[in-house]
Amino acid sequence: MYKYIIRRILVFIPMLFALTIIVFGLAQLAPGDALSGKSLADPNVDPEIYEQQREALGLNDPIYVQYWNWISSAAQGDFGNSLIFNGRSVMELIEARFANTLYLGLFSLAITIIVAIPIGIYSARKPYSMLDYGATGFGFLGLAIPNFFFGLIAIYVFSINLGWFPSQGTLSSPGVSGFDAFTDRIHHMVLPGITLGLAGTATYMRYMRSEVLDVLGSDYIRTAKAKGMSERNVLYKHTLRNALIPIITLMGFEIGVLLSGAVITEQVFQYPGLGTLFLSSVMNRDFPVVMAIALILGILILIGNLIADILYSIVDPRIRYD
Amino acid sequence: MLKKKWLLFFVLMLSVGFVLAACNEDDSSKEKENKTQAEGGDDGASGEPQKGGTITGAMDTAPAGVFNPIFYEESYEANILDFTHESLVSQNKELEFEPHLAKEWEINEDQTEITLKLEEGVKWHDGEEFTADDVVFTYKAMSTPGYIEAGGIRSSEYAERLLGYEEFSKGETDEFEGVVAEDDYTVTFKFTEPNVTILKDVGFSIIPEHIFGEVPIDEMPEHPATLNPGEVIGTGPFKFTEMLEREQYVLEKHADYWKQEPYLDKIVWRVVDQSVMLGLLESEEIDFIADPSGVPAPDYETASGIGHVEIIEQPDFGYQLMGFKINHRKDADVEAGKIEPDNWVPNEDMSEQKVRQAMAYAIDREALVDNLLYGHGSVINAPIAQQFWAYDEGAATKYEFDPEKAKALLDEAGYKDTNDDGFRETPDGKEWVVNLNYPTGNKLREDSAPILEKFLEDVGINIDLRQPKEMTAYQEELEKDNSDWDLYLLGWSLGSGDPDPVGLWNATAPYNYSRWNNEESEKLLKEAVKTPEAFEQEYRAKKYSEWQSVFSEDLPALLLYAQNKIYAHNKRLNGINPMPYSYNNEPENWWVSE
Amino acid sequence: MHTNLESSLPTGPENAPIDQQYQHKTPFQLAYQRFLKNKLAVVSVFVLLAIVIVCISAPLLTSQDPIETDVFNIEKSPTDEHILGTNGQGQDNFARLLYGGRISLIVGFSAMFFTLVIGVLLGSIAGYYGGKVDSIIMRGADIMLMLPFLVLVLTIMAVIDKVTIGLFVTIIALTSWPNLTRIIRATYLSLREQEFVLGARAIGASDVRIIFKHFIPNAIGPIIVNATLMMATYIIVESGLSFIGFGIPQPTPTWGNMISEAQNIRILRDHPEAWIPPGLAILITVLSINFIGDGLRDAFNPKSNRR
Repeated sequence: MYKYIIRRILVFIPMLFALTIIVFGLAQLAPGDALSGKSLADPNVDPEIYEQQREALGLNDPIYVQYWNWISSAAQGDFGNSLIFNGRSVMELIEARFANTLYLGLFSLAITIIVAIPIGIYSARKPYSMLDYGATGFGFLGLAIPNFFFGLIAIYVFSINLGWFPSQGTLSSPGVSGFDAFTDRIHHMVLPGITLGLAGTATYMRYMRSEVLDVLGSDYIRTAKAKGMSERNVLYKHTLRNALIPIITLMGFEIGVLLSGAVITEQVFQYPGLGTLFLSSVMNRDFPVVMAIALILGILILIGNLIADILYSIVDPRIRYD
Repeated sequence: MLKKKWLLFFVLMLSVGFVLAACNEDDSSKEKENKTQAEGGDDGASGEPQKGGTITGAMDTAPAGVFNPIFYEESYEANILDFTHESLVSQNKELEFEPHLAKEWEINEDQTEITLKLEEGVKWHDGEEFTADDVVFTYKAMSTPGYIEAGGIRSSEYAERLLGYEEFSKGETDEFEGVVAEDDYTVTFKFTEPNVTILKDVGFSIIPEHIFGEVPIDEMPEHPATLNPGEVIGTGPFKFTEMLEREQYVLEKHADYWKQEPYLDKIVWRVVDQSVMLGLLESEEIDFIADPSGVPAPDYETASGIGHVEIIEQPDFGYQLMGFKINHRKDADVEAGKIEPDNWVPNEDMSEQKVRQAMAYAIDREALVDNLLYGHGSVINAPIAQQFWAYDEGAATKYEFDPEKAKALLDEAGYKDTNDDGFRETPDGKEWVVNLNYPTGNKLREDSAPILEKFLEDVGINIDLRQPKEMTAYQEELEKDNSDWDLYLLGWSLGSGDPDPVGLWNATAPYNYSRWNNEESEKLLKEAVKTPEAFEQEYRAKKYSEWQSVFSEDLPALLLYAQNKIYAHNKRLNGINPMPYSYNNEPENWWVSE
Repeated sequence: MHTNLESSLPTGPENAPIDQQYQHKTPFQLAYQRFLKNKLAVVSVFVLLAIVIVCISAPLLTSQDPIETDVFNIEKSPTDEHILGTNGQGQDNFARLLYGGRISLIVGFSAMFFTLVIGVLLGSIAGYYGGKVDSIIMRGADIMLMLPFLVLVLTIMAVIDKVTIGLFVTIIALTSWPNLTRIIRATYLSLREQEFVLGARAIGASDVRIIFKHFIPNAIGPIIVNATLMMATYIIVESGLSFIGFGIPQPTPTWGNMISEAQNIRILRDHPEAWIPPGLAILITVLSINFIGDGLRDAFNPKSNRR
């Protein structure tokens, strides 16, 4: 097992390397650079100044020189300075956003699990009941609504008209701390969290339902029931454990989907996370930030996949890695 | 199987219900419309100013986060710095310079020197005394070698003309002669040449020497006193004390402010998406919407319909234009970054003056303003902000909407439809297609492009409306004009310091994207700043008036419209008195009534 | 099991037990029969068909030009002439809804088609030949999957100078093949050692023949199911990209860019006619595609309990 993990991690390195080359190439191919967008903002600034800054930043160097400069400092953990945020350190910019996105992701995952699993189980136990129909209907709808659209309507209804939840940001003021800060943060994450988790909830709900149905119909459960085990016992001892296996695996791979969704959801709610930062950095050609985020996401997804594989082998001992 | 039908029915009902629930919610904004509309800013000022209170403003994008006047770049950061930092002089509503941190000044005869007496007893936020050394330091920092490389962009505007700038900024000498402290409260600026814009040049925000004095210039942008709330030090009426980065920026009153103690305790800036701003103003979660975007013109009705909201509307400093690429540069010049009018190649059809004029007559700019801007803007004919003394409405050709005249001009120039395809051909009978390029990033401008296309096609010009590009990509192609571009859309926001249009329309100016080269214009622009005549504003006004006439006749660009700034605030907020160039004026006088 | 082998049908372990009455029918016929029993899916086929027909016959239903701007009719409420009002450029919303449907459906369909071609091709090669080719393709897929889909798409879109429908579709297809490739490959791996394949190989059938005759028919179930679900996803993806400004650019109408114009309280509140129709159109289209996809899954895989 350990050997397997180490081998997997060793494979990561060339893959991450390839990833940086691809993203760097794309970032450089894009027309214009970080300073070209700035220069139209203020006609009182002599464009010559931007030319001097370009030279100083090495933006006029050949692409392989720029890549080498980037990769050699990145290897030492230095991701350089942002070109758009007036030269602020990339790491510092990403740090706070990363935490925000992480909270949002975890929160929406929590909603997904809390909603999807019980309802999925209930639907499977009482198929064709009212709730089952409701849940299935919701499941289909959740997959059919573009999440930005859902977010816009949620803001309009729950934030503007009803005033139940804030529509912007992560906290109501910089002063809050302690437990208040925690509840405040949750309060701010309700709308974006639901929006982000919508599609996931729908998917998991349907998965859970069908997995439980599959397990309930299988021979060993029938045997267990025949042996006189109580309904409850059958459900919790056998059914759930087996039905959860695919769900757990799915979640490891779900990180990428969640992060994709975050790009759009964060935009709708002006939520200061990695998604909004990435989007604005791509648009403004802030390649040091783009590179750093791509690298971080790449590592996250690789780790997510690895954990999923490991968990899979733990819950299902038939699977072995060596 | 019956059950599946039920499911289908259920799903459809749910979807319909969901959408309906979302759209038939309240019409409160409409109900309130019959209440009195507030225009102008005189009704709220009733009663004595009260102390205390917190107000919240909204801006649609977060500041980049560099709160140091010599390194900040954008208007969102300015929304903080306007409250925290001050300059020696400021501008009044007529755009005349007035005393601020400097209480009086004297300019020598040939306008190469200005000596300013500073206010005494001005305290920095940390309690230190403000002196002439701070002024010297600020200008010295902008002239220091490495300033530009560290990310500074203000030197060309404020430092370049100072005496000895060249030598000092190249590191050839350690002695900075440009700004000299005579004593603690007297400072003299010296310029290489007679300076027509001398008061503008001394009007830069001052940073504290006692904080940054020992900091190397390349470390200044990352210094805590540049980045962190509580450590940013200025002399302004408010201190920047707290922030939730990208979300909230808190300004607290500077009790020792030299003019008077500000009334308000706190001003909080919240970063809020444009789309929900009005909703928050209505629910009183925010109190004012100000620079840089203000309330979008289409939302004016909604905003003015809110009972507790007062609106202030004024012209913006800037304009949108449709430029004609009159000339293109050669590849070699673009490669080398040279702007050499003698090497330019005329862009065949756009270099024809009559064609440009015809296009101007073909476009109904009044209609753009009335419909696209909902009337909240104006048609201008010369590229000088209309607030300036230099703007001369009368001097410019008006180009009122006249498609017949447009057609006649095109006929005259030889552009006729010879093959009856509905579009005109070039004088030598070839197919004539004019491309129109535009950037994304400004909704109204994006909307205007296809409308312009239609106006031009109505007079028989075949327009190739190109796909909009992001600003970064757009700028690159716009600047490197060895392409096939004919028409381009662009907006400029101008400075309020001086009306001189030379940076945008001089033949060799990089921003002269039309690559317009007109001898008379060159001559007038030079004369307008020629000393000693140009020390008289009247003389300059006359020259600019002549220049505006030349510009509008030769027409390197058609000015489409100047938008209005629409500011909105809660009526409980009093003492708001925006300057033509900024909302953030004298915030120490703002107060709230309960 | 053994009786099935006699019927020369290439059969995987998945659909081994088959009711007696279906004995003489091909898997397609069987699937077809099972599909017909799923009323929801059948209704969805007709709904989708209706939407397609309405969009195709757009010129018959409206005389308005979806691209024509009108400065004197900006953001107008519905009138007889503009039955759904006009947008911020004075374009007719109803015409944009119909013509936009064409684009949305074309984008969804052709992106799905190209993904399918790439995915099936690479998946077949990887799964059939294995070895070096397999590991090259799968490493490629791994690298593509290292970035979240949207992040990858945005990075590529930023490079593109002029976004056309074709280019947009290509980018979507080029960034989303890995998942399908993995599925196909896995199916092939399980088939590779099956007796009928070994048999075919033993009698000297060519690779292409084996792939087309034995592999693809066996993998067709997952392929078709994935294809329908992909098409639904792509319609949603296009709208999301439109929202953040990376979709099919103006003036081309799509349902996506129509609803993303509603990112403003004023339009949400005052002009529901501008965004509800395209919103419903996306909703209903995606719903029916998903129902059809579900129906197909049940049809091809009768053991599944998913509805």
